[in-house]
Amino acid sequence: MTLAERLERYLTRYWDTPTEVSNLSRIPGGASRETYRFDALVKGQTRPLILRRDPPGSLIDTDRRLEFLAFQSFHGRAPVPEPIVLEAEGTELERPFFIMSRVDGGAAASPFTVDPYGEHAQAIGEAFFGALGAIAAVDPSELPLGAAAASPDPAECWRVALDEWAGVIEADEQHPQPIVRAAIRRLRRAPPPPPVAVRVVHGDYRTGNFLHDGQGKILALLDWEMAHIGDPLEDLAWAIDPLWSHYDTARVAGMLPRAEALDIWSRTSGLPVDAAALAWWELFSAVKGQAIWTSAAREYRDGGFKDPVLAISGWYTARRHDEILAERLMRLEGLS
Amino acid sequence: MTPSLPDILLGNFLCMAEAPPPESAGEFMAGKVGVVALLSLLAAQEAERGSAARVWENATLRALLNAAAPDYGAHLAEAARAEDGDLSLGSLDRANATLRRALIGLHEAVEAAGDVQRDHAILRLYGQMAHARRLDMPPLPGR
Repeated sequence: MTLAERLERYLTRYWDTPTEVSNLSRIPGGASRETYRFDALVKGQTRPLILRRDPPGSLIDTDRRLEFLAFQSFHGRAPVPEPIVLEAEGTELERPFFIMSRVDGGAAASPFTVDPYGEHAQAIGEAFFGALGAIAAVDPSELPLGAAAASPDPAECWRVALDEWAGVIEADEQHPQPIVRAAIRRLRRAPPPPPVAVRVVHGDYRTGNFLHDGQGKILALLDWEMAHIGDPLEDLAWAIDPLWSHYDTARVAGMLPRAEALDIWSRTSGLPVDAAALAWWELFSAVKGQAIWTSAAREYRDGGFKDPVLAISGWYTARRHDEILAERLMRLEGLS
Repeated sequence: MTPSLPDILLGNFLCMAEAPPPESAGEFMAGKVGVVALLSLLAAQEAERGSAARVWENATLRALLNAAAPDYGAHLAEAARAEDGDLSLGSLDRANATLRRALIGLHEAVEAAGDVQRDHAILRLYGQMAHARRLDMPPLPGR
């Protein structure tokens, strides 16, 4: 039975009405979920939908329930697609999955292209950092995600995050990585000040994880699979990591000058940007990146070398983040 | 570092050798071909520079460990004896793993001792190591 036939069978049961699936097509990109677009014809109406299914092996193990709740939390508050249904057991599709509405007419830029937003970089940047600030402005206790996700003590946000990603490196490392280990030690020696408030952290808020219309408007914020509660500066630091600006040193995320991006975030979130805290989270971002790429390299090997996205992640981005880590460590010591 | 050059080239073959299911034959396959092409380009850089980078790093780490051994222990000089063998990537990486593990231990000891001069020397070395292993992404046009 094909995937389309399985999906058709599931939706017919779920909606308790005959449903036809057409135009099922896998979308290239992310390695943490298999993503497909399709149309469902139900009661004479065509519904454009997205299927997100767990892969046999993934770049990182993430909690699909929290991802689904993140979509629920921000649909209607930000440009976030409507979640439809979550199936943790897999049912007809064999592996856990969820279905959400589809936003058509947009494109996701690759962070590895030159000037990915062209003349609309300023407008995209204002929307991008404004939307991140809007996410950070919301009290998690008001949200479905806030009721389900662990909420760390503000003073412990840094430790929870660092322990998680240092643990990934410890578990998945196949070749000794002295640079990232030095960065982890430095982060432990000099923790950041606690955040004013804990907030929802998207977890992978960056160039490439949103759809834009090519005219300066963001249509959909995607890829919430690493959403959690923590220090909102974690997202801001990840969004401005040099990896996502591809050697554009004048602008963060290929969009805006750094100071302008931080100002937009601070205004829309209502939260201050503590320079020392942000510096800590920026070094942390490169550690987190290196952990993700270390895990990707492990998955690439364990999966029989068949997923080239895992290869790029475990190879090119890992080496790029080593450069970023080394540069940051030297700068913190006044050596560059 | 992982994956290795043979892993990448083997993977490029394996991921293209299987016929995709119908739902993965269009846009997804086109994306996969693009990534495989990019990997091939980066593999050319690794084939050109990878051995030299490893030989340089291993020699530099040996010198660093031998120089530090009088202050931080004879085990560093012992680790520095790891040989590059037949100069294949696999052999160089095996020696490199031994040397890097010793470097991690040395850097921890240097930090604990408050040895700022050697700490800074190691941080500068990290920059050189990362630069020697870099892969240069070509200027891809936006879509």
